[in-house]
Amino acid sequence: MVTGAFVEVPPAAQAAGGAADAPPAGARSRAPWRALWRRAVRLAPPYLFLAPALVLLVVWTYRPLAQTFYLSFFSWNLVPDVPMVPVGTANYERLLTTPDLADSVGLTFVVIVAMLPFTLVLPVVVALLTRRVRGRAAAAYRALIFAPMLVAPVAGAAVWQWLLDPSAGIVNTLLGTGTNWLNSVDTSLWAIIAITGWHVAGFAVLVVSAGLTGINPDYAAAAQVDGASRGQITRWVTLPLLSPTLAFLLLMTVLLSAQWTFPLIDTLTQGGPVGSTTTVYYLLWEYGFRSHDAGLAAAAGVLFFAGFMLVASLLARISDRLSRYDD
Amino acid sequence: MRKAVSRIRLQRLTRRFGSVTAVDAVSLDVADGEFLVLLGPSGCGKSTLLRMIAGLLAPTEGRVLLGDADITDVPPRRRDLAMVFQSYALYPHLSVARNIGFPLRARGWSRAAIREKVAEVAAALDLTELLDRRPRELSGGQRQRVALGRALVRDPGAFLMDEPLSNLDAALRAGTRAEISALHKRLGATVVYVTHDQVEAMTMATRIALLDKGRLEQVGTPAEVYDEPASVFVARFLGSPAMNLIDATVAATAAGLAARAREVELPLGIDAETPERPVVLGVRPEHLAIAGQGAEGGIRAVVEAVENLGSEEVAHCRAGEARVSVRGPRPLGLRDGDRVRLTARPEHLHLFDADSGRRLAWRPAPVTTPA
Ligand SMILES: Nc1ncnc2c1ncn2[C@@H]1O[C@H](COP(=O)(O)OP(=O)(O)OP(=O)(O)O)[C@@H](O)[C@H]1O
Ligand SMILES: [Mg+2]
Repeated sequence: MVTGAFVEVPPAAQAAGGAADAPPAGARSRAPWRALWRRAVRLAPPYLFLAPALVLLVVWTYRPLAQTFYLSFFSWNLVPDVPMVPVGTANYERLLTTPDLADSVGLTFVVIVAMLPFTLVLPVVVALLTRRVRGRAAAAYRALIFAPMLVAPVAGAAVWQWLLDPSAGIVNTLLGTGTNWLNSVDTSLWAIIAITGWHVAGFAVLVVSAGLTGINPDYAAAAQVDGASRGQITRWVTLPLLSPTLAFLLLMTVLLSAQWTFPLIDTLTQGGPVGSTTTVYYLLWEYGFRSHDAGLAAAAGVLFFAGFMLVASLLARISDRLSRYDD
Repeated sequence: MRKAVSRIRLQRLTRRFGSVTAVDAVSLDVADGEFLVLLGPSGCGKSTLLRMIAGLLAPTEGRVLLGDADITDVPPRRRDLAMVFQSYALYPHLSVARNIGFPLRARGWSRAAIREKVAEVAAALDLTELLDRRPRELSGGQRQRVALGRALVRDPGAFLMDEPLSNLDAALRAGTRAEISALHKRLGATVVYVTHDQVEAMTMATRIALLDKGRLEQVGTPAEVYDEPASVFVARFLGSPAMNLIDATVAATAAGLAARAREVELPLGIDAETPERPVVLGVRPEHLAIAGQGAEGGIRAVVEAVENLGSEEVAHCRAGEARVSVRGPRPLGLRDGDRVRLTARPEHLHLFDADSGRRLAWRPAPVTTPA
């Protein structure tokens, strides 16, 4: 009688023979320094590519930043022969006790808020309305709307000064007024804001248009079939999906408004009249290069840097939360 | 409760993009409660046709009718159709509940009513646990069900679906196929369903409309289009492996009409005479039988490769200039290099015109007594 038993069929890898898995005997490790060298050569390229940018950043951004921080604890009038006198935190105390700082921060806040219509509201409206413009017409209209961005701020300022001239300016002629736009306390800041808005609105329109192009048209199509009206689609679908772009523009406006206005303030109003256009950057500039108080200017710079840093990180966190649904 | 008028009629619907005619004069009548599948290869105009029905794309010519109403110029939101997109197009910033409730919100339902209806639909689709999630936190199958839920939530006149299963893996696809079919039976709703997958078409459709290069090739039940393909295109498109197509000549022989080519002679089972004419002879791989070597006729072929499909085997052979595949239960008992003789029953032979590719049918001429 024949007897037997069932045995398990081994999995394929084992059946092929275990010996094949062992490393070949010849591949002994070479001298350790050579292996290390090879590793370094293999890993180096990405860092080498980054190096030029990093070097420039360190030389032109981080080193001056550190120097500013250092300088903010000294009294110095920018004359190379005059020694820097260490004063501890006196610069900061002075800064925080003058009303100038609070005034300029308030003005900067006004500038930022007043810039939002130009960098957010108007661009969204224009981009939504011109969405259907295609082909050559789109290229032409983009060029038109982007043109102000290409005009050098100082050149723009010269032209605007002429347009806003109290006696012969075209603005007063058209409005039938005799306002001295740039030299009266009530209007100077608004003139600066309007000119800056004219400068940057085109750029913002392009950013919003690009954001709109990035939204899958299927969402709007689905919403149409789902019964939503045009206004509902804009409010419920398009704008929420555009929010990362809008957050980016908001961040740009908050951080850069003071910078955008600076060349105009410098050429048109020099911070006046009676400090009505002295934003934080202009204040800083006045301390450093009018009063030649390098320590005070450095202290202001450090404070503004910290302030903007704080605001930026806050906004970045908000925009992060907004854009996290991206697929 | 459902509206009775969800019959969709297309009248010579045409859409051109510049010089490309994506959809070419398609006329189609989709009856109420029908599950019509638009089937065709990639780029044949299925999505374009569906988008025109939905109103997302204006036709260049032709009309769309829903019930008795001409809706050609009606905007999508007033058409009372629901659509499931190939990409699902779930609103990424809204939760599953808000996605499903979106059509109701657009119709101005109250929050409470929306919540109740969404809960009902979610329960039916097994989505209740997922209602608070965002689309990106869902698997492909779950997204597909949410898209379906968004279409179901408002009892539309008809459902339009654009390849809703193409993003799913094979197992999930089979399951969801059955689910959608069951849903269709339960609701009795009209569905126009786009796919390029013949298995989906054969298993789900009450009728299939085959499109090729924007033109309607054939409309019929799955059995009709499979058993009596109207053209070479349909014959080649349906079936796996595809139908064998051999350039042949119909000629009279002693045993009646036969289709002939090099190494091929298959009797057509018609005892008549007709002038010789070139045709394309079609026969499905599963309809070929392996016969003994001795006898005359049939297809004399040499086996070139044998494919194992698990339950069945497919032998790829060469007969003259033609390639012929045979499909049958495993094992077929064939090996590379074997010579075989293949036969087929006359009723399983299809003839197509050599030029137009249209199906040929035998019409006996009125009897004339020879002089
Ligand atoms: N907006 C468009 N502009 C130009 N041509 C288009 C446009 N949309 C579609 N087409 C063309 O129309 C034809 C049909 O496209 P359609 O998207 O309807 O194909 P399809 O059958 O859905 O294909 P698939 O199975 O790949 O989705 C294609 O040749 C395509 O290139
Ligand atoms: Mg498609």
